[in-house]
Amino acid sequence: MRNTYLQLIHMVTGVFIAILLGIHMVIMHLDAILGFFGVQITHVTSWDSMMGRARQGLWVGIYIPLLALALYHGLNGLRNVLIEVIPSATGKRVMTWILIIVGIVFLVLGIYAPVVLLSA
Amino acid sequence: MSELHHRQNYLGVGGWVWAGKYKLERYLYILHRVTGLGILFFMLFHFTVTTIFRVQGEAVWSGAIGLLENPWLKVGEYLVAVAFVYHALNGLRLFLQELGIGLGKPRPPVYPYSDSIRRKRPWTYVLIVVIVLLAVMFFYDFIAGGW
Repeated sequence: MRNTYLQLIHMVTGVFIAILLGIHMVIMHLDAILGFFGVQITHVTSWDSMMGRARQGLWVGIYIPLLALALYHGLNGLRNVLIEVIPSATGKRVMTWILIIVGIVFLVLGIYAPVVLLSA
Repeated sequence: MSELHHRQNYLGVGGWVWAGKYKLERYLYILHRVTGLGILFFMLFHFTVTTIFRVQGEAVWSGAIGLLENPWLKVGEYLVAVAFVYHALNGLRLFLQELGIGLGKPRPPVYPYSDSIRRKRPWTYVLIVVIVLLAVMFFYDFIAGGW
């Protein structure tokens, strides 16, 4: 039953990621096409451009939930794969805890950095 | 020994690709899994750059971004974008399918048998066309030099 709930959350997080990551991908990678529609975005990876977004609460409000959703979806997806290739129950339990720890480390880092940069 | 007996038909990772004649949806599923793993490993690298490197200031950030000017990494970045497009759209197909949306009404199992997934396969072809079009759109932006 627990795996059913994990899978349900996996599917729901996937839908939200498709929307939020879709926004991220369009902004970061489709500048030529956005320019065609009159939206001018250039040098999105430059320090000034990145800091411009980092100081806006809207972007932080998009990126932190996206980080949490993506970490859950990605690491639970990896767990689904590894469950198939790890035969022992102990191995599966250890693998699950390693993924949980990796997820928490990246989540803490991913919240710390934008919060620090918000007021930089 | 009981573990060995339990896994005697286990094909391992090779079974992902071939365990007899798979249908189209099974290959879409394999590609979904492969793209998912690719995106995950890119994502962990991406999070490292945008957290640990970013908080160290402009010089470290610019140095890290400068590494991405390598043409091979650019191609890798494009492949990750296409993997995202595929994984997202195929994932939405699986989500709707899981909820039974767009599968039509159930039919009794009368010979010659047909299942709802295959009856609705034209929609899967439409999805593949949309994925290809978006991949071309990203490619256009890629060669236009904005990446």
